Amino acid sequence: MTKRKETSVLPALAVLLACAIPGAGHIYLGRVGRGLIIFLTISALFWSGMAIGGVLTVDSQQEKWWFAAQMLTGANGLVAWQLEKRAYQDLQQDLQKDAQGRSLEDRMVDKKIALVAPAETVARAYSGVAGLINLMCIFDVLMLSLMGVRGEPSPEKKRAKRRSEKDVETKS
Amino acid sequence: MIATLFYNPITLSFESELWLLLPLCAAVGLVYKTIRVENISHLLKEFVLLLLYMAFGLVVLCTLLWLIDTYWPGSAWFS
Repeated sequence: MTKRKETSVLPALAVLLACAIPGAGHIYLGRVGRGLIIFLTISALFWSGMAIGGVLTVDSQQEKWWFAAQMLTGANGLVAWQLEKRAYQDLQQDLQKDAQGRSLEDRMVDKKIALVAPAETVARAYSGVAGLINLMCIFDVLMLSLMGVRGEPSPEKKRAKRRSEKDVETKS
Repeated sequence: MIATLFYNPITLSFESELWLLLPLCAAVGLVYKTIRVENISHLLKEFVLLLLYMAFGLVVLCTLLWLIDTYWPGSAWFS
């Protein structure tokens, strides 16, 4: 089991890792189990949203606020953004070839990628909230690294904390 | 299969999409408890407790909103 050490950590690196891959910041701080849970949960939530909403769940052109939240999932968001970019490029190419002069929205419907309610709301909520949860983790990593905390809390400290809590209870 | 899974939207066949709030709550609760819990071995217990609190809170909120919507003067119930 990892022990808590008061060693120097690089807060900037920890935050950068947490931004790039959810949970990586915690793994860097020696909290491997927590990092893995964070990674799996955030990735699962984000890709569930993508599965529900399809490629246009991440929409950098129409839904800027949701897009900002989705990009907080780091690598997950970047991969989804690349998929969305490619889909838009395909749509633009189709539009240039299209002699009937149909709109972008019509092409989306033709290709069955148009996102409509309720799938739109659910998909964007899942993927956006995944980003916001990662923001919470980034903040936690920043605080832990600024305090110089590495690894899980040691059993001695936990016991001492419990003892002090009992003392307070008996006094009151 | 995987390519179409993340490319085309899937049709939601739920009667109420409110049920889809539960996985969202579970994810938020799990990550929150993962970073907050002191001892990682207590994670499951704390997470289940938090999920129950959240579900209870949502039920209370939904009931209140339903009551306001039904009995508020000027709503469909009075007219």
